[in-house]
Amino acid sequence: MSESIVQYYPRSRTRAIKAFLGQFLGHGGARLGLLCLVFFVAVAAVPTFLVGPLQTAINATGDFLMPPSGEHLLGTDEVGRDVLNLVVHGARISLVIALLATVISLVVGTTIGMTAGYYGGRVDVWLMRLTDFFFVMPSFVLALVITPVVLEVMGRGGEILGFRPSLFVIIVVIGMTSWAFVARIVRSQTLSLKERTFIDRARVVGSSNSSIMVRHILPNLVPQIAANGALVVAGAIYVETSLSFLGLGDPLQPSWGTLLSLAQRAGAASAGAWWYLAAPGVCVLSVSLSFVLIGNALDDTFNPRRRVIP
Amino acid sequence: MPDTADILRLESLQVHFPIQRGLFDRVLGRPAGAVRAVDGIDLNIGRGEIVALVGESGSGKTTVGRVITKLAQPTGGRLLFEGRNMTAERGSSALRPYRHRVQMIFQDAYQALNPRHTVFDIVAEPLRSLRLVDNVTQLAERVSKALAAAGLNPAGDFFSRFPHELSGGQRQRVVIAGALAVKPELIIADEPVSMLDVSIRAQILQVLVDLRDKHNMALLFITHDLPLAWLIADRIAVLYLGKLVEIGSADEITFNPRHPYTVALRNATPQIGGNAGRAVLPALQGEVPSAARVPKGCRFHPRCPLTFDRCKKEEPPPIEVGPQHLSACWLAK
Ligand SMILES: Nc1ncnc2c1ncn2[C@@H]1O[C@H](COP(=O)(O)OP(=O)(O)O)[C@@H](O)[C@H]1O
Ligand code: SF4
Ligand SMILES: [Mg+2]
Repeated sequence: MSESIVQYYPRSRTRAIKAFLGQFLGHGGARLGLLCLVFFVAVAAVPTFLVGPLQTAINATGDFLMPPSGEHLLGTDEVGRDVLNLVVHGARISLVIALLATVISLVVGTTIGMTAGYYGGRVDVWLMRLTDFFFVMPSFVLALVITPVVLEVMGRGGEILGFRPSLFVIIVVIGMTSWAFVARIVRSQTLSLKERTFIDRARVVGSSNSSIMVRHILPNLVPQIAANGALVVAGAIYVETSLSFLGLGDPLQPSWGTLLSLAQRAGAASAGAWWYLAAPGVCVLSVSLSFVLIGNALDDTFNPRRRVIP
Repeated sequence: MPDTADILRLESLQVHFPIQRGLFDRVLGRPAGAVRAVDGIDLNIGRGEIVALVGESGSGKTTVGRVITKLAQPTGGRLLFEGRNMTAERGSSALRPYRHRVQMIFQDAYQALNPRHTVFDIVAEPLRSLRLVDNVTQLAERVSKALAAAGLNPAGDFFSRFPHELSGGQRQRVVIAGALAVKPELIIADEPVSMLDVSIRAQILQVLVDLRDKHNMALLFITHDLPLAWLIADRIAVLYLGKLVEIGSADEITFNPRHPYTVALRNATPQIGGNAGRAVLPALQGEVPSAARVPKGCRFHPRCPLTFDRCKKEEPPPIEVGPQHLSACWLAK
């Protein structure tokens, strides 16, 4: 390689970011997923502006279980609430739960996985035992244990940032049951990163273990964390739905999962009220699918070798 | 010229890597083996001295370098820096003064640079972590100076570049800049030019020689290339299967080698081969044995054209064959 030719390489970070975006958006799946997400995020941002305040049994505007009509685009539920109104307000709750749970999961999973992989030895053994324990623990069991603790800490009444404490129970439960997956991936990636020569160099030039982890290992984990983070969000939306079926949802702040379980309990399926089930169902499916598409596209962009599978 | 006080001493240095035993071996009670990567080395480096460590691939050169830079822990022997025993020192804060004075240059510069760091961050890292600067102005100044000393001019042009935007030679210069930024007294250079184009090698070597000439830095130059060692070093130490077989001044080792292995190494290089040596020997036979199965007696005996009975039973000690010239061969005397 001649040194004079090399002078003309692009050099700024912005170029690198542009190249990355170009490649990422080259995936049809990534574009579809992003489009769908932007739509839902926009809806979640201003629900009251779009459909008015959240309806309850008291301020319900329609008859019971009415099919979709000009007045109620997605029909009504068993107490006469407008399903469109519920679904739009549910978007905010569902997205907040999923994203916050993912943040918990990524922070805990990355910290534990990186520490285990980097230090190895007994630290690794014990942290991985803990990880395996959480990996096999079903989320509803954890929910049973965590619910009283979180409610005790946060108090039952009041709101935090506009959300009721019971939502935080769900967030913590989902976060605590999904980090183990992240920890395993991060650990295995850390194991291979720490053998790289640039870690040796970092040691020779005097960097401490914590600075090696933060400045050398973590930035190289970002692709893995981002790609898997998107999958964690998708999983969180599903887990939230299943936890709602167990009655963990908050009827005063219904998420899509809560709506599905309400619909099921109201006998929407047997009454032929398909709209009541379909509206939140389609939302859950499309948002989680969007995140899966984005996750796969990220994985692909960061990992050109994986492109064997179209 | 090098002065007499040693900056670094290795005393009977030994690095054995345990071999994982299978369940079968354990049940049968077979003893755990070891890879004897470094098997008892005595070596000293004077202030401002350039010592070359020469040996074939697998002879343990990198492992010696990793012990000196505290990346590997010896299983025996001592590492002394200015007379101070550094063998058991560990932890980044305890080692800070040592790191300030002993730096390393790596064989593969591409691997040695974090792909996500800019040249500035790479060269600034030692200055930051060893706390050698008080403010950003000082930092930028020292980074610039280091890059310029390593031959990257104008230094500012390189600050925001990433390693993949540099050529092989430029990358190695960045590694060198990082090492010399802290103004160390000893640099371990592990085959620093073996992965570079021939056209760039001379320039990189010049940078290293300048460090000694201008700043009196000592250098342990690790290489498999005897002529290169002669070119750059004051003294040469020849390593075979984890043990030094011969050590002496660069000229003595190159033109008057006394160990059959050194003779064979020299004969294998046409530039300096020929009849200048004490003996003309046939080319080396066979492969270097594995460091997991070091031959008994003289470890060179299965390949030595001059082997006799004693070689298979007793290991020869280093024998003085001239001023500052030692050879570990029964025929040396
Ligand atoms: N971490 C390690 N674990 C086990 N064996 C090792 C390790 N590092 C080096 N070795 C072995 O030690 C010997 C010397 O290796 P090395 O120091 O890299 O030699 P060189 O640099 O001269 O090629 C080789 O046989 C190598 O396989
Ligand atoms: S001791 Fe014997 S085997 Fe070893 S190098 Fe000398 S002559 Fe050869
Ligand atoms: Mg090596």
